[in-house]
Amino acid sequence: MTQSASPSSSGRKITVGVLALQGAFSEHVQLLRTASASLGVDQDGDHNVEWCFMEVRTAKELDMCDALIIPGGESTTMSLVAQRSGILGPLQEFVKGYCKPTWGTCAGLILLSESANRTKKGGQDLIGGLDVRVDRNHFGRQVESFESNIDIYFPAVGPQTLGTEGLNGTQGMEQKEHLQFHAIFIRAPIVQEILSNQPGIQVKDVDNPSLVVASSLLPKTEAAQLAAKGEVEVLARLPRQAGEEQGRIVAVRQGNVLGTSFHPELTMDPRIHTWWLRYVRSKAYQ
Amino acid sequence: MASELPPSNGYAAEGDVANRQKVKEGLARMLKGGVIMDVVNAEQARIAEEAGAAAVMALERVPADIRVQGGVARMSDPKMIKEIMDTVTIPVMAKARIGHFVECQILEAIGVDYIDESEVLTPADHIHHVEKASYRVPFVCGCRNLGEALRRISEGAAMIRTKGEAGTGDVVEAVKHMRTVNAEIARAAGMSDEELRLFAKEIGAPFELLKKTAELKRLPVVNFAAGGVATPADAALMMQLGCDGVFVGSGIFKSGDAAKRAKAIVQAVTHFRDAKLLAEVSMDIGEAMVGINVEKLPEAERLAVRGW
Repeated sequence: MTQSASPSSSGRKITVGVLALQGAFSEHVQLLRTASASLGVDQDGDHNVEWCFMEVRTAKELDMCDALIIPGGESTTMSLVAQRSGILGPLQEFVKGYCKPTWGTCAGLILLSESANRTKKGGQDLIGGLDVRVDRNHFGRQVESFESNIDIYFPAVGPQTLGTEGLNGTQGMEQKEHLQFHAIFIRAPIVQEILSNQPGIQVKDVDNPSLVVASSLLPKTEAAQLAAKGEVEVLARLPRQAGEEQGRIVAVRQGNVLGTSFHPELTMDPRIHTWWLRYVRSKAYQ
Repeated sequence: MASELPPSNGYAAEGDVANRQKVKEGLARMLKGGVIMDVVNAEQARIAEEAGAAAVMALERVPADIRVQGGVARMSDPKMIKEIMDTVTIPVMAKARIGHFVECQILEAIGVDYIDESEVLTPADHIHHVEKASYRVPFVCGCRNLGEALRRISEGAAMIRTKGEAGTGDVVEAVKHMRTVNAEIARAAGMSDEELRLFAKEIGAPFELLKKTAELKRLPVVNFAAGGVATPADAALMMQLGCDGVFVGSGIFKSGDAAKRAKAIVQAVTHFRDAKLLAEVSMDIGEAMVGINVEKLPEAERLAVRGW
């Protein structure tokens, strides 16, 4: 299923896929449409981007994509179905080999982590890309699912912003775009630990029998090497609870990969999708 | 084909009931495109998880056995449900009898992820379904038509499934129920408010919910197929009819090779439009459950007529 947002433009076409093996993929596609409609002309000022959003179930479909969202759903299901559908390897190449922009929500965050605990017996395959360890079902079962307002600080992309505040202007500090977001957490994971930037497998976690780690895959091109990495940035935390030094980490970014443990796809608020599409567009023009 | 389910049903950000409704419907959305499998013990639950089930339904006897053995079918032993919850990391659902709100309280207390107020068990109340909105745990309920679906949603169900005819391995009733819901929604979509008022009365559904359904051109919550799905082709058939996912009850563990069949049905639900892949996964998966032809089933033995 392919949907074009602005068919009449003469500009560049950017194809964004949403992994549709299982889960809330339709919601992401709808929000991408809303977000793209609110995006104006890009930073060069004279190109219109023709956005194309598609559901991705096969390696062939993934091949058409410039960027990808991995939605919420059951990460064990997605991982097994991906492997049996012959798309797990291509997904790893997409994220870690060619370092294309990829965003995972909830189950997507788990799959994009280099290390995870509390997986099913026998573990599960991870795609990797984010040097973090996630704790699956961190808050417990469905009765513990909840909503919370959180503050998210995105790196600034281009002149069009979500509204900046605070950190801009301070010498040596990167400009941030700040937004308050009503976040929905459903049997959600959190980022338990930020691991050091590691080309290849997470050696710290690989021998721990209670953890699974993603298999190693190095960037395939020079451009990908450049796009990859840097350290993991924490973009959002939950409000601090009693006894905690800092709130628990619920959004991170590292190079081309964004991960959120909550579900922007369950709201009518397209602002995170808007930020991400601007990021995707900035990469497409590099 | 069904229309899209919008990302949110627009509940207010504040207010307890509305809030819970969002996370309750949210979990159902996370199950979309997936298969929920009936299991009777931890070992079967592991097979289901390895096959790629998006959730399991814990129950003491699968519907096919309930049919054979008869007697009153009740909520399962909480100990067995707990064992399954401790064994797998995917969501665990459990069934309560229609109207048996104390079974629901117990299931909530042990922390199941979803309750199925199910016609497969012997009803505990001839008149009332459970008032579901005030529970922290979400509910899924069966329906044969639009009126029944909307009555369950108005009671607080966060997810709907067709009733089909459980334990038969005959998909014909699930198809009938899905087609009936689709046809009634298509009718409603073309109606004025005045006509919708009349239609609401006719099908016994709340007007506001009916109007919303007419606008969306689909049920306002996730809608799965259930009752009689036995093969990958059955599962893909229900998906092509517009279901968001599939429950498989007796169809897996009453078949010749449960693990193989379970995997095949999971693949079929993801790739439900890819006939070539459906052919591949349908090959060499062992005997399907024997099944009972629904037309041969005496009225008194039909489960779908339970509830209203």
